This record gives sequence, structure tokens and C-alpha cells, in this order.
Amino acid sequence: MENTVVKIDNLVKRYGELVALDHFSLEIKEGEVFGLLGPNGSGKTTTINCLLSLLSFDKGSIEIFGKKMTPVSYDIKKEIGVIMQNVIVSEELNVYENIDYFCGLYITDKKLRKQYVEEAIKFVGLEDFTKFYPKKLSGGLLRRLNIACGIAHKPKLIILDEPTVAVDPQSRNKILEGIQELNRNGVTIIYTSHYMEEIEQICTRIAIMDKGRKVAEGTKDELKRMIKNTETISVEVLGLGEDILTEIRTLPHVYDVKYDEKLLVISCSGGKHNLIRILDVLQKREVGFGRVYSELPTLNEVFLEITGKALRDKEE
Amino acid sequence: MQVFKLYFKVLRKNLMTPLIFIIVFVSISIPMSKAASADKAFKDTSLKIVVFDEDGSEESKALTEFIGRKHKITELENDKNKILQALYFESVDYVLIINDGYGKKLTTGETSGMFSTYHMHDSYSTVMMTQLLDSYVGSVRAYMAGGMDASDAEQNAADAVFSEAEVTIARDKASEDFGASVSSYFRYLAYILVSVIISALCPVLLKLSKKEFRFRTNCSCIRSSSYSLQIIAGSVVFIMFVWGLMMIVSLTQNGGIFRGNAWFAVLNSFIYTLVCTGFALLICSFEPSDTVVNLMTQVIGLGSSFLCGVFVPLSLLSDSVIAAAKFLPAYWYVKVIEMLKGTEAFDGKRLAMYMLIESGFAIALMLIALVVNRMKYSSASVKPLASKKERKLNNKISI
Repeated sequence: MENTVVKIDNLVKRYGELVALDHFSLEIKEGEVFGLLGPNGSGKTTTINCLLSLLSFDKGSIEIFGKKMTPVSYDIKKEIGVIMQNVIVSEELNVYENIDYFCGLYITDKKLRKQYVEEAIKFVGLEDFTKFYPKKLSGGLLRRLNIACGIAHKPKLIILDEPTVAVDPQSRNKILEGIQELNRNGVTIIYTSHYMEEIEQICTRIAIMDKGRKVAEGTKDELKRMIKNTETISVEVLGLGEDILTEIRTLPHVYDVKYDEKLLVISCSGGKHNLIRILDVLQKREVGFGRVYSELPTLNEVFLEITGKALRDKEE
Repeated sequence: MQVFKLYFKVLRKNLMTPLIFIIVFVSISIPMSKAASADKAFKDTSLKIVVFDEDGSEESKALTEFIGRKHKITELENDKNKILQALYFESVDYVLIINDGYGKKLTTGETSGMFSTYHMHDSYSTVMMTQLLDSYVGSVRAYMAGGMDASDAEQNAADAVFSEAEVTIARDKASEDFGASVSSYFRYLAYILVSVIISALCPVLLKLSKKEFRFRTNCSCIRSSSYSLQIIAGSVVFIMFVWGLMMIVSLTQNGGIFRGNAWFAVLNSFIYTLVCTGFALLICSFEPSDTVVNLMTQVIGLGSSFLCGVFVPLSLLSDSVIAAAKFLPAYWYVKVIEMLKGTEAFDGKRLAMYMLIESGFAIALMLIALVVNRMKYSSASVKPLASKKERKLNNKISI
């Protein structure tokens, strides 16, 4: 049976009269890559800050590795690696010294630390930049340095708060591969990001937060099944009459049909063989058609449907 | 000791400005202090005199010889334009023409028309030469009236006028221990301590106390108190190093180890070092940018120095400036120096009071910095890592 690494129970965090976390609960098992999704201001960073005891909370409890997490739980902190949203390194130290500094906050044995630092450098691919100062590094290299600083002490739990912001695709790919490799080595990962494709690519389980609450939780497939749209079928077709469109609308599981004289887009909710039934109608009516696509919903659609499409950064 | 080591790595990268201050200070203060020392020594003055002897008598030759005993007789063409030019460019200080008939007039007691002169109006050399000639002529006549012949009278007059008096500058015990050279050094030290400590300490403290850096460190197994203690330890080591270095340089000014009351100056400079640290901590508590730190260094350093008697002696400052300066620690620092130097009569109780006031400033500055930091910390702990955007959005979430 998998051990629970993180257990957040009924967490409430208020800022004055504002509720940032509203009875938020979460359980993360050992070896998971857990994605924490949510629009801006949904409480992701507050959750992480509470998790790391950087922030006190009003109600609830947090357990990590089966022990209660407090600001002085140094034995727990030793097993946690943190990669913050912003690159937090010292401009006065070079790559090697920066990793050594952060690793030294956990590992006091110099010999062991040297080995860990070198392994971290190799892991993120910064071997050629060890003497470089942060100012001389590109955005991608800086992110990799940030990650190396967070993982050098070989933690069992790594928390990554949007680690790929403003990173080029190559560096992003390298970072994601690295995270997967860490996971394969048995590290549990909590990952927050706005990039849905990243979450889809690496996370084994995902929780979606909104307004301080957990609004959905499950695997990618479980989440996709939670929304109305389960399949979107697009057909390139010319000159469709209203009668044909009406017939398609009456097909089982079809809940929305859009046609712009060139492309027919049908949204289906559940069911199997939707595509075959639609193509049957077109053939029966002797309508010629071009390319046909059938798309399953993306995590982005799931996210937008669950959290709504209204802009969160807009002033009221 | 990771944070302690980091402290010095960050400090090393920010040492350029303080190093410039120290180098400039040492290279300027040493000659300035020497000059201050030299001002207090007694030195006889010798002038460059041109003598045109139109009389050619024994008496006029004796006079020329008399002048040449103390002053330098300079050759010059007897041309009015050249004489005026030489006086203008100060290549000569005084031009004396011994008129024809000088010898006769000296023996007959006639006083008018003995000399003609070219000189700079109201210059000290003119006053000096006029007095010298009057004394000489008066003495010669007095000796002759007493029955001496002209030659003996001239000899005796010359000896009498140039008889040297031994000059001793009276100094009390306190000022003997604390000479002019070292007192100037300690006065200028007030400026350099402020400049070096603020410009070196602030960038390091600001970087290590940066909120995000601090939070990142708080995620690790290092205790928050240990983090703070290592920063304090780093600061103490650095401050003691700066103070120690300045004291070593001051030993060269003093010409060896300090004696007697000079130790009060050492203690005074240590207290002022604490004041400077207080200034640095207070500035850091407002998290200013590097530009503002540089600006504050200049404002506090130069402002205190000009207002409190570091650059301009207190005796030259107006009452209103002194009244304002009393609210600045540098004033009390300078007051201690003045007392040790002997400008103000030495009084142990008052000296202690000046130092206590100075210490009070140091404690007050540090306490204010602590309060500001506490207030900042308590407001930051409400929501440490939330972005502005996140705060705005949270404001919209209703219960």
C-alpha cells in the first residue's frame, strides 16, 4: 500500500475577512507527481506556503511523512526540496557556489555535499557553467540553476511552483524530463503550473483549485470525464442544409452543433461511436466531405469548464 | 556557517566603494594631519630683500650686513619696472634703497630721508622690515648716545635686535597625549566611518534580508535564529575589522601606541562606529535601492561632517548650526575630540556625558531599526509570498 506523503486536512487560511483557503483538503501518495492547478488567486501559493510552514493558518492540519508540519519541523524540512516561482539565487555567487550554499543549508558534511552538488549540476546539465555568475546565465539556465539549488540535497518530496515560467521549449523539455527522472527515482512531486500541457505530460494526479477550494481532483482521464464535453468532432463539408443539421442535432449524445459553411463542429457528451453515427448521416444524405477530426477534451478545456472562462485579473 | 560564509562572499563583491573611501581617506588624511601638526610648530621667518646701497658708507654696509644675517639678500637690477614686477610675482618681499647720506644722518641723529623702499602695501613683510629698520636705527643711536663709536654701536644694535628668544608652545598634559596630528585624524575619521560602514554593510544586509531569499532559507533546516545570528556575527566581524584597521592607521599618526587620554579617543571612535552601524541598520530596515543607499551615505556622511565640526571647526560654525548639530551624534563625537585636544578644558564628567549621549544615539538608531523591522515582519507575515495580483484577487473573494 502506498504511503501518504502529504496530508492536508480542512485547511482554512484567512487574511482578515478574506478566505484564501476554504476547508481545503488534499492527500498525496508516495511516488506521485501531483499537479496543483488553479487560476491566479485560487490559493495555490498560499497552500504551498502553509505546507512549508512559511505561513500560519487558522484551522486544519498538515502532515508530511506522517508527522505534523510546524515551522520547527527541521527533520521534515530536510526531506523537502523547494523550487520557488521566482529564481532565488545569490548574484554574488557563481553556479557552483549557489548550489553549494543551498545544499549546505541541509547537508553539513563537506565531502557528501561536494558529491551532491556535482550530481545536481550534472542532473540539470550545467557542467559547462559552474563558474558563471547568475547575471551571465540565460533565462533557461537560470531556471535550471534554481532547480539544482532545490534538489541538490536529494529530498524525498519536491515542491515546484511554476518552475518553467518564461523558459524556451528546449529548456522546458529538459526540466520536465528531469522532473520525470526524479519521480522515477522515487521522489514525490507537487507541481503547480499554468501550462496545462505540462501538467498533462507529467502529472499522475491533479487537483484543481478555485477561490481557495478544491473543485476537482483525479487523474487526467477522471477529470476529463467530469466535464460535459467528452468528444469534439470536426468535418470539412460544404453546402449543408438546415434539415441535415437538425438531423445531426437529434443524434444521441450530441449537445451542440456549429456550422460556418465550411466546417461542421459537433460537441458530444459521453457515448461511443459518435463519429460513425455522424458520418452515417452524411453518407445517407449523399453529402461529400473532406477531412474529419475527432478530438478528446484537453485539460485546458477541463480547467476552463470547471473554473469558468471569466478573466481573473480583470478589475471589477 | 553557510550564511556566515555567504555574508563575506557578498561583502567581497560589494567592497569597491568602501575601499575607495578608505584609500582616499588614508592618502588624504595623513598629509593633512601632518600639516595640522606643522601649523603648531614655531618657525622663524626669513624674507627675500633687495638692498640698493646709494650711500656706500661704512654705516650703510653695516646695515646691509645686518639685514643679511636673518634675511636673504637678493640681487636685482635697479630698474623700477623690474622691481615692481619682482614684487608682484613675489620673487622678492621688500626692496630697500639706502639713500645717499645715510651714514651722516645716522651719526647726526637726522631721521628723515634715510631710506626709500618698494614694497607690497600692507604686507606682513613690509611691517616686519619697517619695524626691523626702526629698531636697528633706534638702537644704534641709543648706543652712540651712550658714548659708543659708530662701529661698536652698530655691532651691539645688530646683536640686540637679533637676539633669539627660545620659544616653547605651552601644552597641557591632555593635549600632549593627543597631538594635533592624531586629533585631526580622529576628527576626519567620523566621515570615513559613516561612509565605509553604510556603503559596505547596507548592500550585504539588504541582499541577505531580501524577503524571498529569507523565505527560501526558512524552507531549509537552518533555524531562523541561526540565520540571523550568522548575519550579526558577520557584521560584527566586519565592523571590528574596519574600526581595527582605522586604529592601526591612527597609530602611524600617533607615532606609536596611544598614551593617557588618547585612549578616550579610541573609545570615542568605537562608540561612533556603533552609531554608524545604527545608521546602516536603520537605512536597511526601509529596504532602499542601491542608489538610495549611496545617496544616504553622502547625505549622512557629508551632512554630519559639515554641520558638526568634522570638516569645519566648531568655533567657525554659527550658533544656529551648532544648535541643530546637537541633534546629530557626530557633534558629540567632535566635542570629545575637542576636549581631548585641549580646545575645551578637560573634564572627565563632561567627557563621559558626551560619550553617553553618543552611545544613546547608537542605541536609539538600532532600536528604531528593530521596531521598523518588527513592524515590517508582522505585516509581511500576513501574506509573505503572495503577489500584488494575487492580493488584488483575494480581495475580491467574498466569504
